[in-house]
Amino acid sequence: MDFRHPFITNPRIAIYYGLFWGVAAVANILVLTISNNFNAVEAIVQVCAFMLSFAVIGAAIWYVIKFSTLENNSFWRVVFAHAIAASIIIFIWMYFGVVTIKLFHPDPVGWFEQNRMANGIFTGYAMYTIYVVFFYAINYYNGFKEKLRSEGKLKALVKEAELHALKSQINPHFLFNSLNSISSLTMTDPEKAQEMVINLSQLMRYSLKHDQNEKVSFKQELENNKLYLHIEKVRFGKKLNPSFEIDEKSFKAEIPNMILQPLYENAIKYGVYEATDPVDVKTVSTMTEKGLEVIISNTYDPNVLSKKGEGIGLRNIRERLQIIYGNQGLLKISDNKKEFVVTLTIPQK
Amino acid sequence: MADKLKTVIVEDEELARNLLKSFLKSIDKVEIIGECENGFEGVKVINELKPDLVFLDIQMPKITGFEMLELLEHKPNIIFATAYDQYALKAFEYNAADYLLKPYSKDRLTEAVDKVVERIQKEGVSSDVADKVSDFPKEEYLDRIVVKDRHKIHISPVDQVRYIESMDDYVMIYTTEGRYMKQKTMKYFEAALNPNDFIRIHRSYIVKVDEINEIQQYEKESYIVILHDKTKLKVSKTGYKNLKEVLNF
Repeated sequence: MDFRHPFITNPRIAIYYGLFWGVAAVANILVLTISNNFNAVEAIVQVCAFMLSFAVIGAAIWYVIKFSTLENNSFWRVVFAHAIAASIIIFIWMYFGVVTIKLFHPDPVGWFEQNRMANGIFTGYAMYTIYVVFFYAINYYNGFKEKLRSEGKLKALVKEAELHALKSQINPHFLFNSLNSISSLTMTDPEKAQEMVINLSQLMRYSLKHDQNEKVSFKQELENNKLYLHIEKVRFGKKLNPSFEIDEKSFKAEIPNMILQPLYENAIKYGVYEATDPVDVKTVSTMTEKGLEVIISNTYDPNVLSKKGEGIGLRNIRERLQIIYGNQGLLKISDNKKEFVVTLTIPQK
Repeated sequence: MADKLKTVIVEDEELARNLLKSFLKSIDKVEIIGECENGFEGVKVINELKPDLVFLDIQMPKITGFEMLELLEHKPNIIFATAYDQYALKAFEYNAADYLLKPYSKDRLTEAVDKVVERIQKEGVSSDVADKVSDFPKEEYLDRIVVKDRHKIHISPVDQVRYIESMDDYVMIYTTEGRYMKQKTMKYFEAALNPNDFIRIHRSYIVKVDEINEIQQYEKESYIVILHDKTKLKVSKTGYKNLKEVLNF
């Protein structure tokens, strides 16, 4: 726990505190001299003796509330602690006040005869209470800020971990299934096997080479995903039917690397895996005033059991868009029970 | 063993099928009598041709390899062949003869076939695979239930299941689409369905939480559950405790 006084950690509070008491003291002196007919010296001594001294001593109440917080102690224990602390502080305060009056007041005997002490003690307890409330408020505010800060830090860590997971996201089963296809092709069609090995190597190299937050040209990202689709096409044959409608203007647009791959992977997983008939996976790209727009859609067999919710893949893309562009609305999904459509908007500066 | 192993391949990818066939061609203990591209075909072909051995992929369209196994009347020896290693445990709960991880070598395949031959010599013609089908799936909760309904195979997503009633050796599964009988135990479903969505309320009933409209006191110590469509189901003492736990009242 942080026991440092808020006046030390946050000098601005100390300045406001000082100003407040300064103004209050001046106001008090004016009231005393103008409407209560005190002489100036009398008024100043009294204000210094009781008011400004409380401003100094009262600051110590912070330590009382820090050592007897409601979280760690029972309510009555806290009340008891404060009652004792209040009495001690008020005793010291009154003692200081009385000594000051005796030393500096032009008419100390008169002051004592007016019996202002009882009044003062009551005021002291009331002020103590106000201080306690004030410091508890500061304490809670600090705790709240601290919590927000640590939450933010935690979130950043989680994101980092997620991004890391995302990075190594080329599904190992994709790799093993592809290797199995290659194994088969080595017997029946060695040339095709060789081509597939090369495609697979290029894809792996691409996914290993690029940094998570790096942006690549849409052309490059698209070529890479074509490799991916090509490999899957070898596996699934006529069941997978990819098509592209690419506006050439969009080639130069920048896009976070490997952001399309999970979308194609989903299209294959939910469309092709479950289908017995050919499935179209269509990619359309255009440049709009909002930026690069990529639409990836896949048909699917509506009779196949609907999949549970939104997969990790889409959520991760949303998170990445949120991190990179501060906007997770850039990914839109629609599903008309025959076709699943993902629309991705990538802002261009 | 004089005869060759009558073998069926159930695999959705053509290249994987080709590879398996070309490997098997040189293993002379094996004779391929059928080839299927998905689990539906698999059920039909296996029940008809009654093979000794089936090579089975797990991840296939429509129904998975495991779901297919549950629908078989004839119980052949099973060798799984898949790229996923996480199903290995489950496969052996299904009494699989072997589990080939793709890509596999011809030697590894030969070894698997030898295991089957050995097994058959030891245990007689064919071992009863699916009889020993796991009563406790450990992988994850079911998301669909596959039922063979005479000549049709029906797939119910668990979201459509309303409640399950035990009937001797069978269970009756009441879904929004209709009711289906399946040869499984209540215990199996109790373990296989997500306990946050389904509660065992009685020896004879498992009910979907969302279907419950009301819980009523019936007699002094007994309760009934009333579903949205007014169906009333008895609740046992333990059932009431389960309800309390999940619904938090």
